[in-house]
Amino acid sequence: MTPDIENAKTVQAWLKGLEDQSGVSRDEGLQRVAVLQDFCALVDKEPDQIIAECLREVEGGKKIRAKGRRFYADRITEFESRIGGGTGEKRQMGNYIRSFLIHNGVLLQTSPLS
Amino acid sequence: MEFKEVVGRRRSIRYFLPWRPVERDKVQTILEAARLASRAGNADFARAIVVERDGLSKADLASLTLPVNAGMIEMAPIHIYWWGDLKAFARDMPSRAAEQVDMGVLNISHGWTHTFINEVAYPQVVQAFSSDAVLSAKVTGCEAGLAISQALLAAVDEGLGTMLCTYPEEPARQVLGVPDSWTSLWVQFVGYPAESWEAGGQRPRPPLGELFHEGKYGQPFRGTEEGAARLRAEKMIQDPAPFSWRKEEVRAVSRMLGLPEE
Repeated sequence: MTPDIENAKTVQAWLKGLEDQSGVSRDEGLQRVAVLQDFCALVDKEPDQIIAECLREVEGGKKIRAKGRRFYADRITEFESRIGGGTGEKRQMGNYIRSFLIHNGVLLQTSPLS
Repeated sequence: MEFKEVVGRRRSIRYFLPWRPVERDKVQTILEAARLASRAGNADFARAIVVERDGLSKADLASLTLPVNAGMIEMAPIHIYWWGDLKAFARDMPSRAAEQVDMGVLNISHGWTHTFINEVAYPQVVQAFSSDAVLSAKVTGCEAGLAISQALLAAVDEGLGTMLCTYPEEPARQVLGVPDSWTSLWVQFVGYPAESWEAGGQRPRPPLGELFHEGKYGQPFRGTEEGAARLRAEKMIQDPAPFSWRKEEVRAVSRMLGLPEE
């Protein structure tokens, strides 16, 4: 693993998206990146690799790879289950990873907590 | 609620309270509104299967889920799977039109007789439409859409949140057991909104004259200032999106439901 994933293209896209769409400051964004780094360690992949496994280039754009998305959706659930803390905290950590995928064009939803 | 306000309040609600059930009589009202919609030849184009989310097995819920409907399908306690019956026009029109002649709904003054229905309207129009796949889909989609539109408005009038989304046709066909002649349209999610009814404000639309023309294409229909003012007073035209507090609302609702918020 590269110790610092901040400069990865997909992480930069995420940070920009967080700032532009949700008003998350760069510093706050970097805290999310630290969580992503833990996730990358779990799956033993770089951020750009994760996105590449969820999207493929097609004429005129990109298409979601269902298998890749399903794989990472399951890994995020696993990641949540390994984190300490309450249900809300676990979910929030998982949602940071979902946010990384979403901001890179991977449509990914999750079940509501109820 | 007055009609104009119902129209003004309707917008797609995407966050529902998963734990709050919808009363059966409200679902009945939605379906009744659809049943009473305008429809060509009084034919049964619009068909629906009402599903209680909690009555679906996990496997069936998963097979009805698409990436774009995934959040709503689990939040909304009621799903109405709308279908269009491609055989409706040919099957229903002759008998329904004849019935309407007998009831004085279709009359001589407009040329309606049993002879006209059986010898002209049915073979020349209805059969021609039904044997052309594109025309058939066009008519069925339009006619069912009228019913679905009323169903949406009825849900709003009942104080519910609602929206239309897509669903996977073949899996839905298997899970719901619908006839082969039905074609998938939309799933209408219904529930109590977890977001405010404004849902961020009325969505931006091009001005009236850009969409609608008068006399011929290119001559914009012109409304009046007085007309627009009346529609604002009667709440058909409402405060437009974006609302300054909308993103905070989305963030709070997402956090409450455990959904990605940023």
